[in-house]
Amino acid sequence: MKCSKARRLISPYIDSELSSGDRNKLEDHMKVCETCRNMVKETQALHQVFVNTEKFEAPYGFRARVMANVKTAKLGWFPRIPIPIRLAEGAVILLLIAIGIITGSFLVKGFLPQRMGNELASLHLEVFDSAPPGTLGSAYLAMTGERNEK
Amino acid sequence: MRRETDDVELIRGFKDGDVSSFEQLVLKYQDKVYNLCRHMLGSAHDADDAAQDTFTKAYQNLNNFRPEASFYTWLYRIAVNTCLDYKKRPFFQSIFGSHVEGDNESGIEPVSGEPSPEKLYESKQLRYALGTSLGKLSLKLRAVIILKEVEGLSYEQIAGVLDVSIGTVKSRISRAREELKELMKEFREQK
Repeated sequence: MKCSKARRLISPYIDSELSSGDRNKLEDHMKVCETCRNMVKETQALHQVFVNTEKFEAPYGFRARVMANVKTAKLGWFPRIPIPIRLAEGAVILLLIAIGIITGSFLVKGFLPQRMGNELASLHLEVFDSAPPGTLGSAYLAMTGERNEK
Repeated sequence: MRRETDDVELIRGFKDGDVSSFEQLVLKYQDKVYNLCRHMLGSAHDADDAAQDTFTKAYQNLNNFRPEASFYTWLYRIAVNTCLDYKKRPFFQSIFGSHVEGDNESGIEPVSGEPSPEKLYESKQLRYALGTSLGKLSLKLRAVIILKEVEGLSYEQIAGVLDVSIGTVKSRISRAREELKELMKEFREQK
């Protein structure tokens, strides 16, 4: 076994996650390779530091605070509804939107001709009085009129 | 197996509207979740907040939980993701040396018999070095090494919590250990 492969197996070896075949190969390699043997020792030492670490416990009153929090928290209500009912709800919403669009288009068709005429008339420039002579407005209109004629 | 059977029954009770079932789940897992958050985040205050958030999210989503999955794997996933969301908060100084917050520092387990003051000091230094070095790891590597070394999960369970392949878990653990060894060496050389 090459050192590069042996080093990839060191962590699983420490964690007892190696197959017996790989474990035997690694142990054989360690017998002849001091560098890899030392790496295994270092990794075991690191593992031991973790073993000696403190186990933290939830602070006093933790559970009571969780229960107080969840009382005000909203439950995910939507996922509680079964999927077929959710699909049916979606279909009803789409149907309502479609009905709205169709009836809306009929209403618009009924009102459009007479309203359209009024709106067009209100937008037409002819409804404005001509600018009184001698004003800045009449001068501007005269200039733009000349330019348009050219 | 017994643990998972109990969990399934409690979850069923919760889905039937019995809130006390959820309370029992909190009681059962609060130390594990808090311990995980504390090692991930370092600060006792952040760990408390993150662990509270974890249970609140679990409560809100428990109806989506599928009984065929493992509850604690699902809960750990929420806890790890919640801790990852806390990453933008100011990071901790040391997760084991709790000088700032004045927590109990007597959690060192003696190797054998009554520890000498030198051994106690050495052990405390090691924990401090480890805490500082862990804080310098990327969150991905930190999560994987804490789930392995602190929570004692198998590679398969870690893969389930982090939603990655076992091969990814294996390579991340190896990298995390290599980086930790280097960081701890640097820490000792600085001292």
